[in-house]
Amino acid sequence: MRLDRGVAGITRAVDDELRFHFEMTVKDLMNSGMNPDDARREAERRFGDIPRTRQRLAEIDRARIDQQRRAEWWSAFAQDLRYAMRGLRLKPGFAVGVVATLGLGIGANAAMFSIVDRLLFRPPSYLIAPERATRFYFGRTYRGTENVGSYVGYRTYLDLKENTASFDAMTVFYVNEIAVGLGESTKEMRIAMSGPDLWRMFDAKPVIGRFFTAAEDVPPDGTPVAVISYGFWQTQFAGRNDVLGEKLDIGPRKYTIVGVAPKGFTGFSPDQVVAFVPVSAQMGSGEFGGRRMKWYDTYNMTWLEVFARRRPTVTHAAAEADLTRAYQLSYKKGLVGNPGRQPFEITRPRGVVGPILHDRGPKASNDAKVATWLAGVTAIVLLIACANVANLLLARALRRRREIALRVALGISRSRLLMQLVTESLVLAFFGAIAGLVVARWGGGAMRALLLGDTLGADSGIVDARLIVAVAVLATIAGLLSGIAPAFGAVRGDVASALKAGSREGVVQRSRLRRALLVGQAALSVVLLVGAGLFVRSLMNVRGVRLGFDADRIAFVDLKMRGVKLDTAENIQIRDRLLAAARTLPPVESASRGLTVPFWMTWDLDLYVAGIDSVSKLGDFTLQAGNPEFFSTVGTRIIRGRGFSSTDVKSAPLVMVVGESMAKKLWPNEDALGKCVRVDADTVPCTTVVGIAEDIRNGSISETQMHYYLPIAQFHPQDGGVFVRTRGPAESQMEVVRRSLQALMPGASYVTVTPMSTIMAPVVRSWQLGATMFAIFGALALLLAAIGLYSVIAYNVAQRTHEMGVRVALGAQVRDVVSLIVREGLRVVLPGVLLGSLIALAAGKWIAPLLFEVSPKDPPVLIAVVVTLTLTAVAASLAPALRAARVDPNEALRAD
Amino acid sequence: MAADLDLLQGTLDLLILKALTWGPKHGYAVASWVRQTTDAKLNIEEGALYTALHRMEQRGWIDAEWGLSENNRKAKYYQLTTQGRKQLRVQTARWTEYAGAVFKVLHTA
Repeated sequence: MRLDRGVAGITRAVDDELRFHFEMTVKDLMNSGMNPDDARREAERRFGDIPRTRQRLAEIDRARIDQQRRAEWWSAFAQDLRYAMRGLRLKPGFAVGVVATLGLGIGANAAMFSIVDRLLFRPPSYLIAPERATRFYFGRTYRGTENVGSYVGYRTYLDLKENTASFDAMTVFYVNEIAVGLGESTKEMRIAMSGPDLWRMFDAKPVIGRFFTAAEDVPPDGTPVAVISYGFWQTQFAGRNDVLGEKLDIGPRKYTIVGVAPKGFTGFSPDQVVAFVPVSAQMGSGEFGGRRMKWYDTYNMTWLEVFARRRPTVTHAAAEADLTRAYQLSYKKGLVGNPGRQPFEITRPRGVVGPILHDRGPKASNDAKVATWLAGVTAIVLLIACANVANLLLARALRRRREIALRVALGISRSRLLMQLVTESLVLAFFGAIAGLVVARWGGGAMRALLLGDTLGADSGIVDARLIVAVAVLATIAGLLSGIAPAFGAVRGDVASALKAGSREGVVQRSRLRRALLVGQAALSVVLLVGAGLFVRSLMNVRGVRLGFDADRIAFVDLKMRGVKLDTAENIQIRDRLLAAARTLPPVESASRGLTVPFWMTWDLDLYVAGIDSVSKLGDFTLQAGNPEFFSTVGTRIIRGRGFSSTDVKSAPLVMVVGESMAKKLWPNEDALGKCVRVDADTVPCTTVVGIAEDIRNGSISETQMHYYLPIAQFHPQDGGVFVRTRGPAESQMEVVRRSLQALMPGASYVTVTPMSTIMAPVVRSWQLGATMFAIFGALALLLAAIGLYSVIAYNVAQRTHEMGVRVALGAQVRDVVSLIVREGLRVVLPGVLLGSLIALAAGKWIAPLLFEVSPKDPPVLIAVVVTLTLTAVAASLAPALRAARVDPNEALRAD
Repeated sequence: MAADLDLLQGTLDLLILKALTWGPKHGYAVASWVRQTTDAKLNIEEGALYTALHRMEQRGWIDAEWGLSENNRKAKYYQLTTQGRKQLRVQTARWTEYAGAVFKVLHTA
């Protein structure tokens, strides 16, 4: 008799046992002479407190049974694990295939998750109470539309600090690239400036030394103390403990190092920062040329962001109302003495207590949007991977039909069987997770660099607790998704027929699910590959755009004075000297002065042309100024007339060269040459047009800019920098050029040399990104689909060995068998291709704004993708088809 | 049995294990055997007996199985496991040593 292990069963057993003892006691008492009633009473007396005994015994038994159950469960699980491992060892190809597939899918998703997490979810390291920490945004209405921005001035910040009561910490925070170090080793590095409350908002303790205090952040000059970052401490100072008290040149001032921030601390900056300084100390160094504005007192400079922590007792709505009130007060104060500013009623200033993460606030960048899109794409790839694995598992389960049927017949319960099959999937998923971690680590770094350029610094590395959790979750989902359907399918099978069936019987029912999976995979592959094709074409178009200058051969040399003051004559002199020196350098083909840089710095002035009342109404006209060599240095062609010559000096008549579209705009039906333009004022002498140059693109890649050129000798010769044209690609020569020119710079000033390709990189980046990502994922999806198709067809063919044998015996040629199999493969894939194409066409309108001069319905791309899919399907079917054709009919007919 | 319950518990386990040395017995039989062997000097209380039996079953020293008694009634039979036999050996040795020590003390003069 089996012990009933339920609660009722336990109590019943205890009762039975006690009752037996009771009856035996009564019997013995009766045997020794007592009458039945006395015997019963005596027995009862002896037994004592029966209910309590019962309860105690039942408790003990229940504990014992629970213990037993747990042990059984564990041993069953261990058994399943061992069985699964053995099964996988026997079929290593299958195991490797599944693990690789899952690894790719999981890894890609984990890496994307890490990126999206960084952009959208993870608060800055060490932040106290992230749910109460906020970044302030401010809304101002101009010309009917409201602009929301996060930048304000120091004066406004002081007003806000004074007039709000809802925040227990508030600080400014701003990061800038500032020259660090002196002489040849000068490098521009990221420096963060903030108020003293920064340290109150984070739970960070200095590794050595201390953080700066409120006393050191007093306008106008502050105290030049700096807290360096952990990374900088390790690389620049080798982690020395005696770094405290050392001096560091930041900008034009010498700072004393007072402390080192903990590892991974970057304040509110998403990237690495080298040092943290009080904002007064940085601003007080008076690095701003031009008028000496009281940076701490004026309402006319806006360059800081304000971060604060809401008090726990104040609601979000109340804090926002408080902020709005204070901001409005400040705005009104700013109107006093600034009549040019828009009145209060029109501006309608308001405050927004926004999230810390920039990309969750009102000004989310494109990066976050793209990252989220791509996260969706990787999720699709994971689905494809799971579908593939499900297919493989289904095929395997079907192969094992007889084995499973046998086990069921021998007595295994269906739930145990199910658990076994699911354990198998989970074991595969576990290994897939490990593979995924490897992929995430290795590919993730690459993806981050590609996706976000330099935006994300590598702090604690891409493998951390959150990532591992993400991978674990993904792996479990993948394992269950892939394993459940096949497991259920296998368990539900009809035992008798499975045992009787030989492999002669093709499995027709199951294949509907597998077919559907394949169609889905093909469709998804098509969608991704079409995306890839469109982006690649966009990228090619972007690259092929005629910029009007030779971007890959030019670099711009910029002078950073860093506090060194030169008068006009000295400024002209140093620039001429740099120009002369640049010309002597071996890698430099030619060099010229230049005032503005396309896609980087522009300058425009008022122009006055006879016969046109307002030139500015016709559009934006930007200017450039340079030497006679300018046009040949940057590679801009002169179409008609001439460029500049050495006769165009300061005292000579003023001349200009205009761009082609500017000429057409200002003088539509006439020849621009010889026309008179008055530059900057109506009353100055004429500047005569002497040449027409080809158009350039200057700020927008999709359209040309109306642009004109002045001889630099006649226009601001003391400003600007030097363009150099190198013999090979500009990027490789930068350091050489920089070092040579740096030697000429006086005092602490320095030069930066930036290749045009670096300046242009952000412009092409989004298409480059789209092309690369879609291509990678499209190829991945295609590979997975091909593997899936191959496995299905191979399995089908294996099942039909008998049939193939018959065909060959009846006279079929290799060609016939191959074409039969391949046609079957196509019959599965083509509906998927069709479906995918329809989806791609329908979804085209969402992707259209991201493309460049390519229609989302571009026929060549679509055709190319369809052809690729078809060829892949043929290739995937070919191997099993050839194997089928070579079957020896004798063996096949005899086989079971 | 009155007095020190803890000491009793250990001794009780030992008595029960010994009782089962000659084959499976149900709870009543164990109590009877102890009574007979000690000439009615030791009488095990029912609650204590069954608590001890169930606890030892949980610890794995004895196994339980339902069977039919001499007069065809359903009864729960207990028997020693390998671990139970080992416990019996170990505890007998310990108890004998303990008793010997106490004996020596009590009979010094």
